[in-house]
Amino acid sequence: MKRMADSDTAPLAGGARQNWISLGLMVVVGAIALASLYMGFREYGDNNIETAFMYILIGVSGFIAIGFSFFRAKPVAKTKTGPKEVEVVTTLECPQCNLKRVRSHQVGDYIFKMDEPCTRCEGHMTITRINARKDPKKKD
Amino acid sequence: MILQTLFSFAFIIYLFYAQRIQAMTMLRQIETSLRKIKSYRDKSRETAIEAIKEYGKPEKDPTPQVERFMDHFMIPPVDMDPSGVVQKLGKILNVREHTFQQEVEQMAPEATVPQRNNLENLLEASLALNMFYKVIRHYYLMGKKTMNIYVIMQIHMILPMLIQQIEAYSAALQAFKDGIPIGDSVGPIVAAKLINGAPTREVAKEMVAGEIKFEGRRVIVTKAFGPGGSVGKPGDAIQNLIEEENGKVRMLITVDAAGKLEGEDVGEIAEGVGAAIGGPGVEKYKMEKAAIDNDVPLYAVAIKQGMEHVVAPLVEELMEATDKAVSSVKGLILDYSDEGDTIIVAGIGNTVGVGQ
Repeated sequence: MKRMADSDTAPLAGGARQNWISLGLMVVVGAIALASLYMGFREYGDNNIETAFMYILIGVSGFIAIGFSFFRAKPVAKTKTGPKEVEVVTTLECPQCNLKRVRSHQVGDYIFKMDEPCTRCEGHMTITRINARKDPKKKD
Repeated sequence: MILQTLFSFAFIIYLFYAQRIQAMTMLRQIETSLRKIKSYRDKSRETAIEAIKEYGKPEKDPTPQVERFMDHFMIPPVDMDPSGVVQKLGKILNVREHTFQQEVEQMAPEATVPQRNNLENLLEASLALNMFYKVIRHYYLMGKKTMNIYVIMQIHMILPMLIQQIEAYSAALQAFKDGIPIGDSVGPIVAAKLINGAPTREVAKEMVAGEIKFEGRRVIVTKAFGPGGSVGKPGDAIQNLIEEENGKVRMLITVDAAGKLEGEDVGEIAEGVGAAIGGPGVEKYKMEKAAIDNDVPLYAVAIKQGMEHVVAPLVEELMEATDKAVSSVKGLILDYSDEGDTIIVAGIGNTVGVGQ
């Protein structure tokens, strides 16, 4: 099978170069916005309200555009992202003395498997539950 | 003055190139998602290869075989003449299943039957992720080539839903590699809880059934044979069980995982009528046919869960919901049958990590 090359998903303007263009654009827009704000306040001081309003509007729009770009920009992943693994626990119960034990899941565990001997009585513990541990940070 | 000119110039540019700018923004977003999908796809391939090497102890490197497997496809039967289409689809699905089993057997000769079943499921998840990646990449490259906003929009609009499905499939890798029950295993867990250690026998391919007594009724409970990952052939099992009982079955109850709507709680139980079973429809058809031919009413118990839970390792809420579902099944039996009646209960779903 042909291996899918990384170039299949090459950025539109070519990786790092695009970042420099974006950064350059932001600097230019920022400079214009700053100059515009300066002009706006100067016009306001000269009592030219209409012109001042236009300059200030352009200046603020420029800064909003820069802020929006920063907000939308996602950091480029330095490490390979992949699916996260969850912590899985196995619950064992002794049908004779009702002793309950919770441990990490081991390969080969399955629900209703007669597993290890009971530490309290002569019986054998059965796996009654296997489930992912709840992430305390995660909201329902 | 300069600023005014610049502002007007920007406005004119936006007037003519707005669509192109929008297309480029959308392409950028698709590209970011595509990178993520690619990493999921690659991880799934690595996981499958690692698991095959670990459990199957193959003599040669399974990588080329896994890569070949990831491009496997199924052509559905022609449905212009719908008569007999279910049988045709059933036949094709059987061939597919047989092919997958053979492939896994060749790749992992030392693996046990449950391990082989889990590997088969793992490879299927990898295959699905590869398909998702290829289709999204196709639209991305086509959009990039043509710069046609309508081509780009098609994939951009459905991307959040696709990502949800892709993340669900990637969560399945851990479950199938280590044999952990998944959200879809709730049906078999309910069935196993009802069987409660009673002896079981094979009633159809990869399907077992156990018989219990409940409040003077005979309850035959069927589920896929575990703990390897398998859904079995519940349609065949129910057909055979009804035939064995000469059609004298008072009710048939199916228990399955069901998609929840936003706002509903995970593990909510709902009762209804009909055959609760997903998939391509072949098993559902067999089940409904057997029930209708023998006048057996169909009842269903659904355990609600989100798309992200279906193939991911079973969450606590769903594990707890299986007890509620057992009570629900018992309630249905008491409400709609009399002492001396025979009832069939089928736990539908993947039995990975669930014994009987």
